[in-house]
Amino acid sequence: MARGLDLLLSAVLLAGLYATMAYGLGLIYGVLRIVNLNHGGMIMAGAYMGWLLHSRLGIDPYLSLPLVAAVSFGFGVLLYRTLVMHLPRGAAGGVQSLLLLFGVWLVLRNAAYLMFTGNDQVIQTEYANKAVMVLGTSQSLNRLVVFGIAAVTLLGLHLLLTRTYVGKAIRAVAQNADSCTLVGIHVERIYMLTFGIGTALAGIAGLLGGTIFAFNPTFGAVELLKCFVIVVLGGLGSALGTAAAALVLAAVEVFAILLIPAYLTAAVGFVLLVLVLIFRPGGFFGQRVLG
Amino acid sequence: MNAIRRWMPEWLSPTALGLFAGAVAALHFLPRAVELSPYDHNQITLAFVFIAAALAWNWLGGFVGQVSFGHSAMFGVGGFVAARLILTATALPFWLTWLAGGAIAGLYALAWGHPTLRLRGPYFSIATIGVGEATRLLLTYWTQFTGGVSGLMLPINPDLKYSLYWYGLYFLALVAAASYVLRHSRLGLGLLAIKSDVDAAADVGVGVVFCQDLVLFLSGAVLGVAGGFYASYFSFIEPNDMFGFDRSISFVLMAVIGGVGTVFGPVLGAIVFVLLRQFLIASYPQLYLGLYGVLLIVVVLFEPLGLSGLIFRLTRRLRTLRAAR
Repeated sequence: MARGLDLLLSAVLLAGLYATMAYGLGLIYGVLRIVNLNHGGMIMAGAYMGWLLHSRLGIDPYLSLPLVAAVSFGFGVLLYRTLVMHLPRGAAGGVQSLLLLFGVWLVLRNAAYLMFTGNDQVIQTEYANKAVMVLGTSQSLNRLVVFGIAAVTLLGLHLLLTRTYVGKAIRAVAQNADSCTLVGIHVERIYMLTFGIGTALAGIAGLLGGTIFAFNPTFGAVELLKCFVIVVLGGLGSALGTAAAALVLAAVEVFAILLIPAYLTAAVGFVLLVLVLIFRPGGFFGQRVLG
Repeated sequence: MNAIRRWMPEWLSPTALGLFAGAVAALHFLPRAVELSPYDHNQITLAFVFIAAALAWNWLGGFVGQVSFGHSAMFGVGGFVAARLILTATALPFWLTWLAGGAIAGLYALAWGHPTLRLRGPYFSIATIGVGEATRLLLTYWTQFTGGVSGLMLPINPDLKYSLYWYGLYFLALVAAASYVLRHSRLGLGLLAIKSDVDAAADVGVGVVFCQDLVLFLSGAVLGVAGGFYASYFSFIEPNDMFGFDRSISFVLMAVIGGVGTVFGPVLGAIVFVLLRQFLIASYPQLYLGLYGVLLIVVVLFEPLGLSGLIFRLTRRLRTLRAAR
């Protein structure tokens, strides 16, 4: 029983990180109808940015978060202005945007190999191995902090989207971009902003992930697939759905350890992705996005 | 001539047929006419297989319009089935092991592809990333079948390796001919309709599910045979190499460079890719991944039809120039 509670708490803590990771991907897809394959690259870049700031300048990874978020946002905006903007919109651009953003990911990955080699790195803070007692179970302090930051980030984003003028514009563009032009919303600027926010979320998630897991230039690939699982499972444009789907994935992964050998748990997410795509392509919470 | 013309289906162009037969004959006699170094001989052999794989990827990615980032799954399954058969059923001729690998790879593609191909938009592509990675992980740990990370060693046979050139050539010839048929026949028209608009295609009587599944099976089967061939060629295979994400990407790149959806673009693309990879691995091993990325970006932004589009544009410009003169 105690073990069950322990695993459940681990799953909840992990879900916070997963939800942050997935939200950016879902946001960009929901508004621009583009699958940002570079999301994985940005997760990796976020982790390395945090590592660089911590190991070279001694800045605590949690304090460097705003900086990493700002740089990631800037990179996203730049990426949008230089490359993504020129792609055809709609179904015609689907394959092209997949290939283009995949190309960007390959470039980022190569850059990481050149700068940091392929070795595994960790963001090693002095409190990295501390644990606290929660509900009678011992939980890593790091994971608790990551969960807290993830929750605050998601809440902030939710408020931005629901309570501000810009957020309203973003949601309007997601529903019907043509009508937005009519009422005077600068659609291209909203696209750029959304792409920036989505990329910034990937950077934040990468930094948070980097404080928990070891990473190398391929970091982000597995995480990207987990994002897909969550976005598909949770449906698009639903913060609650994203959070719930993240919890489902985290719980399945954590509890799978009880049933199958540990080395196979990494495959659980992929199998779940394929199963979800087959049986619930519209997700459990959002609207059905497919014909 | 007229008698031959009547015998041929009307979509088959005699020029294309002549060029194709000429190319196959020239390549058939190439090693006898010219003294190829063993290195070149092997490189050409390997290029045949990769061209065939790129063509088969293009059936699904170009003709049907469903981009797969997980075709290494079928390549690997075919390779390991063939390798296992070579090791256990030694009486089987090796080409039969390739066919068995191809058949199982095709069925494997159907097993996950039949449901996921029904999805619209980017969901199929997303699923293929998952399928590729899941297959790699599962088969890496299925050590009884794949030998795990240490892989499988196959008996080495130098004579066979030399003669693989012709097996590769005729395998490629078959796949290239199939590409032409798939594009120009009635089925090809159906695929084009499906790519443009699934609902409209179904409305005018195209068997959408059957067509998509058939192409997926064929594409997977060719990848499986290519995997089996690859296993025979190297006499050693290992899951992380066979199922690697990089391998899946290489199929995508070959088709994209040559021209997605064109009939013979992937041939050009695969040749350029193989040459480029040789050059990059020899000169800039630390940059090849990024250069692939740059290549993808440049092609997608400036010439979505790749080299085929470029050639098409150049010939058209030449023609207008000549007409102006």
